[in-house]
Amino acid sequence: MSRTDAVTRILFEAFPTVEVRLFYVLGYTAIAVFLYGVYVQIRKYRRGAALKLEGSIYSRLLDMTVKVLDQRTVARRDAAAGGAHRLIFYGFVLLFLGTATITLQYDILEPLFGIRFWHGEFYLIFSLVLDIAGIAMLAGLLYMMYRRGWLKPPKLDYARPDRAAGDADFERPQYRREDWAFLWTLVVIGATGYLLEAARLVWLEARPDVWDTRWWSPVGALIAEGLQRLGLDAHGGGVLRLSLWWFHGILALVFIALIPFTKVKHIFTAAASLMVRDPLAAQRLPRVPENQAAPGVAKITDFNWKQLLNLDACTKCGRCHEACPARAVGAPLSPRDVILSLREFANASLQSGKLPEAAELDVHGKSSGQVAQETLWSCRTCMACVEICPVAVEHVPIIVQMRRKLVEDGAMDPILTKTLQTIHKTGNSFGESKRKRGAWSKSLPFKIKDARKEPVEVLWFVGDYASFDPRNQKVTQTFATLLHEAGVDFGILYDGESNAGNDVRRVGEEGLYEVLAGANIAALEGASFKTIVTTDPHSYNTIRNEYPDFGGKYEIQHYTSFLKQLFAAGKLKVEQPVKRRATFHDPCHLGRFNKGYEAPRELLKLLGCELVEMGRCRDNSFCCGAGGGRIWIPDPVGTEKPAQNRIREAAAIPGLEVYVVSCPKDLTMFEDALKTTGNEGKFVVKELIELIREAVPAPRAEAALA
Amino acid sequence: MKIMVAVKQVAALDEDFEIGEDGRDVSEDFLIRDLNEWDDFSLEEAVKIKEASAQAVEVIAVTVAPESADEALRKCLAKGADRALRVWDESAQGSDSIAIARILAAVAKAESVDLVFAGVQSSDHSFASTGIATGALLGWPHAAVVSALDYSPGSKSAVFRRELEGGLLHEVEIQCPAVLTIQLGINTPRYASLRSIKQAAAKPIEVKTLSDLSLGKGDVGASGSHSRVRRMYIPDKSRAELIEGDPAQQAQRLAQIIREFKGDAA
Repeated sequence: MSRTDAVTRILFEAFPTVEVRLFYVLGYTAIAVFLYGVYVQIRKYRRGAALKLEGSIYSRLLDMTVKVLDQRTVARRDAAAGGAHRLIFYGFVLLFLGTATITLQYDILEPLFGIRFWHGEFYLIFSLVLDIAGIAMLAGLLYMMYRRGWLKPPKLDYARPDRAAGDADFERPQYRREDWAFLWTLVVIGATGYLLEAARLVWLEARPDVWDTRWWSPVGALIAEGLQRLGLDAHGGGVLRLSLWWFHGILALVFIALIPFTKVKHIFTAAASLMVRDPLAAQRLPRVPENQAAPGVAKITDFNWKQLLNLDACTKCGRCHEACPARAVGAPLSPRDVILSLREFANASLQSGKLPEAAELDVHGKSSGQVAQETLWSCRTCMACVEICPVAVEHVPIIVQMRRKLVEDGAMDPILTKTLQTIHKTGNSFGESKRKRGAWSKSLPFKIKDARKEPVEVLWFVGDYASFDPRNQKVTQTFATLLHEAGVDFGILYDGESNAGNDVRRVGEEGLYEVLAGANIAALEGASFKTIVTTDPHSYNTIRNEYPDFGGKYEIQHYTSFLKQLFAAGKLKVEQPVKRRATFHDPCHLGRFNKGYEAPRELLKLLGCELVEMGRCRDNSFCCGAGGGRIWIPDPVGTEKPAQNRIREAAAIPGLEVYVVSCPKDLTMFEDALKTTGNEGKFVVKELIELIREAVPAPRAEAALA
Repeated sequence: MKIMVAVKQVAALDEDFEIGEDGRDVSEDFLIRDLNEWDDFSLEEAVKIKEASAQAVEVIAVTVAPESADEALRKCLAKGADRALRVWDESAQGSDSIAIARILAAVAKAESVDLVFAGVQSSDHSFASTGIATGALLGWPHAAVVSALDYSPGSKSAVFRRELEGGLLHEVEIQCPAVLTIQLGINTPRYASLRSIKQAAAKPIEVKTLSDLSLGKGDVGASGSHSRVRRMYIPDKSRAELIEGDPAQQAQRLAQIIREFKGDAA
């Protein structure tokens, strides 16, 4: 035996044959249990509805691989936990790969082909790498223990806002037990690995090929020296090695066997969830398939397999819980708990061999695992949860699909019912006559082209709030005047326009949405234009992302990017800089939904404003509370509204003068919240368009209008 | 067991409406049509009885109107009516509520229904008489403005409650078959989702003529009516003025107004 041959991993040396066989029996049993668990999980997902994924599997695989390897989604908004997870992840992967390569040689390549690579320098380097990986993993695990045990971030509190103290599933202590069991199991596996290594070194201290290369396993070597100093001799080392070997081995095998049955499965489910991710999950809601008998989700099996997989991917990290505006104001909703409830429901009903009766699959209600109406109606579909989820759980379509069922049953707030009927009857949520849609333009000193009658360069889709709400009409008139002064060839659809349907769809009234989208697409098809512009982020989102599914493919811009171009082209000029201290509120549908973070900020800079960001900005912007149809559902009396929560955040900015919005609903919500929080007079809420008007004074002839 | 629900597609005024050429109604262009609000409640009451019943109950929505009212009937089908029936003949144009009731009574007889619900009134013409007239023409017991109802299909009577002035409640037992006009608020009408309305579009609407109901042209329209609309108009705007000042000043101003009104100003 050459020297390099001798320098190798000591596996079964000195094991009686029967023990080696026993180990193989246990190993195969663990693998069998693991595979059975995988089968049960896959059977569970397959009990969901069918879904065909779009796009190529290779680009999905690539996207997933990058996300899993770079771990960036895990580190967002929690760098420390992300860092610790990275240590655990990389450590675990290396240790797993290391162990796997031993098996590769010992059980496959050597017996079949006589190929050996696990010796000499390769082994030594490997040994060093694995020792470092183990340290990384243990360091990560210990931080996680410190975090759970001492730091106790609120997002890891499993108490539910949609249950009361005393309810069976209020705090779910079983989750905490599982979390700790997971951490301790890995810590013990890691620690006994080092001890075992040390015991082996002591046991074979007389063998130079082992002892002289011991510093390639620095941690093991260090412990070995310590053990020797404590009086452990070669014989004692041998005994210790054998017992630790079994302890470590059995624990590792139990861990593997339990993966599919515990939170450890996120190793697979999170990766799979990332792979089937829909980048437009909240922006473009799914259509109701033609052949589907009833819209939405009534039973757990009405969710598609991907959604059932989403449920299993959740690691209870609490990022969505933290980001949710409804949860922040004490509404009975946490996106995390919607997912966990449904997961508990799916595990209880879909893991057994036989599928229960249909009646036992109803996910609506107040029992354990079910989701209550109030919870579903608390959602603002602001996408904060979907956007921050590290493992691509898509909460918003899950909630909207469940709402579709509630709408079908008429289980909703009476005011919302009335509003939907009004929208059906008049095409707008204000209950105004269709004829009055363009009435705001009558007081302008110029005529706005009727895009139904003559071709225009730019078609302006005005939207409900900008058309009918008196406060917003002023902004609408100002925007029209700016376009007119900039010489833009534009027109509107007048009474040919209907509510764009974005929020109707998010309420879950898909039939009405189809009617509205169909009417608007028909009106747009009848007009001749190059591009659409809108001041309403909600209309912007649905026309941009959802109308294509109904045959309406248009180029559309939010006014912020459109005006930016007008400034760049010199058609609008800042003449009186607005030197005010301002903060900007990202509208959900412009920011998170469509990544329009930059244009409004660039405009503010151009105007001369001093922009001070709020803590929650850009992708972490905090919803005004009006999304998802909530503008038509009154908030409970006596509780804080999301808009008030937000205004209080802004009020903490020293010397703030202007709270800038760029969405009609935001203007309504925040002007109201400014008054109700007692901040009136301290700073003002302004549409960005109004600030632009200040900076770009009207030409003298039309000065009277401004 | 059959419950007939008489419904009407009412008209609501759009902004800036005009009176039609004959001066007797608002021009058709300025009307927004919808199912009468009261009928939403009477239909819901019938559907609730059906859903709570062990025996088979058929809910029939009936209207007397041209084809344009089909939309209202579809809404009824979407909300749970089993059948929708529309009666029309050109000669029925200009029928008053008695003539309409004559047609509804004929339908009730032809279908041998056990109970007839109608709204207390229609939101556009507000005669509040069609339902009660139907009961009178059938010679059945009838009651108006029912705000709570207890009836189980098959029983010979129904118990209902009416709200009287002064906070009084009137609990009445009535022999069936009977005609009841239903008040707003008796229940919470369900939401008809657009999907259910679309699905209802596939269901048939039965159309009956006068001869199907053994009625003649003389029974309906102007000749079958007991009243006719002479004109519809917007009254001249009246003025109001708050007179301020001390009693003497107020009296002085008042006297001045009276003089102006009598025409002997100055």
